[in-house]
Amino acid sequence: MTMVLSVAEVRKDFGGVHALRGVSLSVAEGRIVGLIGPNGSGKTTLLNVIAGVEKPTAGTVTLDGRRIDRLPAHRVVELGIAKTHQIPKPFLGLTTRDNVGVAVLYGSRQDRDVARAFDEANWVLRLVGLERHAETLAANLTVQDRKRLELARVIATGSRILLLDEVFAGLSPDELREAMGLFTRLQKEIGFGALVVEHVMRAVLTLSDRVIVIDEGRKIAEGPPQQVVRQPAVIEAYLGREAARAAT
Amino acid sequence: MKLPAIPKLGPTVWGIAAFLVVGAIAAPWIPIYPLTILIGLLVFAALAYSMNFITGLTGYVSFGQVVFMGTGAYAWGYVVGTFRWHPIGGVLVGAAVGALLALGLGAVTLRFRGVYFAIATLVMPLAAVDIILVTPALGGGQGIILNLGFEPLSWFYTIWVILAIEIGLTYWVTHGRIGYGLRAIKGDEDAAKTLGIDAARLKLFVFCFSGLFTGAAGAVNAWTLSGVFPNDAFALLFSLQMLAMVVIGGMGTLLGPLLGAVVVYIPHTYFLTVVVGAEFIVIGILIAIIALVIPEGIVGALRRHIPALRRILE
Repeated sequence: MTMVLSVAEVRKDFGGVHALRGVSLSVAEGRIVGLIGPNGSGKTTLLNVIAGVEKPTAGTVTLDGRRIDRLPAHRVVELGIAKTHQIPKPFLGLTTRDNVGVAVLYGSRQDRDVARAFDEANWVLRLVGLERHAETLAANLTVQDRKRLELARVIATGSRILLLDEVFAGLSPDELREAMGLFTRLQKEIGFGALVVEHVMRAVLTLSDRVIVIDEGRKIAEGPPQQVVRQPAVIEAYLGREAARAAT
Repeated sequence: MKLPAIPKLGPTVWGIAAFLVVGAIAAPWIPIYPLTILIGLLVFAALAYSMNFITGLTGYVSFGQVVFMGTGAYAWGYVVGTFRWHPIGGVLVGAAVGALLALGLGAVTLRFRGVYFAIATLVMPLAAVDIILVTPALGGGQGIILNLGFEPLSWFYTIWVILAIEIGLTYWVTHGRIGYGLRAIKGDEDAAKTLGIDAARLKLFVFCFSGLFTGAAGAVNAWTLSGVFPNDAFALLFSLQMLAMVVIGGMGTLLGPLLGAVVVYIPHTYFLTVVVGAEFIVIGILIAIIALVIPEGIVGALRRHIPALRRILE
């Protein structure tokens, strides 16, 4: 059965700050949904709420109809949803392989066999192209490789829906092309669904099946990528009213 | 690429096992004075391994660890003194009380991180002393004085069994799935949670082990003294020595706590007969040197600088 993640009317307040003011969306296994919006629009908060890192103030998050918004983060991962970190958070003192191995041992597989878990970890490392660095301490990886490691770890958890927080940011044009190629290959091979928060427009527009735009904690547009970015509300959110008027 | 085989039982395990087996066979022929030194060393080693469970594996610094030692000792003294239990039964009770106390205290204090956890645990032995002082059933300020006789071989084999079980558990934890979970928590607890690790449960699990063995070692220590005294049983010094052993030997390793116990215990006994208090200067200087030069402790430094030892030392 295809797994479906649904977010309904989610609100999140931090004291007097309304980070999310009622956002709804859904992501199905196998589909890529882009989530864009200006800085501070609530994208990362939304991912944190889905991942169980933050509890929503109101609204629900469901996976195949089952409420998951009150579950702690580790339970959400067990159910098959895993999130990367905007700033990579590798376990610095562990090798790259151990970093991935941990994700296999826990994650949604909860495989208790260490030897088998590390075979699996080797497979994931090859998949993302980190096998050369398997024995390298994560502390010695470059920024680009740390981002790959983030991706490797969420894949290693066996999750069916990935929440990717700016995995394409800060890459050179060549690196970006490579990373996008890698993502497409991985998605074909594994068939996961993903909610992709991204500022790099080229990546979002190329990879997403559907794009959602949020601004100031509200959804302002949703649809096929090329269509969404032409909507006046979206141009206004990014560039201001003048630009929106000029464009239409 | 082939996964390097995880050594099933490496040289470190065999080395520690040989040390324990030789000790167990030789014990009846060891003269009294060296035997008491060896017993003290094993008690320290048991304390070091119990500290290793929480501080070595998770990075949570348990400054109040002595609270489990003290309550283990008091639980032992109470059942042996009041109910006339056999001292070994008392040691089992001490272990159980240590584990239960760790479960209760850990459920609350393990929510704090870093220095807040250290401070939260630090106040526990201070509170325990005050409670004991106003509890007549536990001897109040006088403590519990028992007249049990001098039985070094019983002490030796009791602490030997405790230490052997503890090292076995350390091996099981560090080499299994739990060990990877704990290393992840030590590395970055938030990231660990987002990979499916139930950090709260895992930390509490090892903290209970830690309390269990600290309680057992505290009970044996009280047995060798034939009594329990409030200010000695909860002395902060023990916490510091336990920390020193783990830091000097190598946090989270299999061999480190044993090496740390030797390095801390030898000056401890030596200076007791020469200049009381000088051991702290020695241990203090050692810790300062280790923090500056080899923050990963003896085992970590050996592994880093001598590649040949990497496959051998754990």
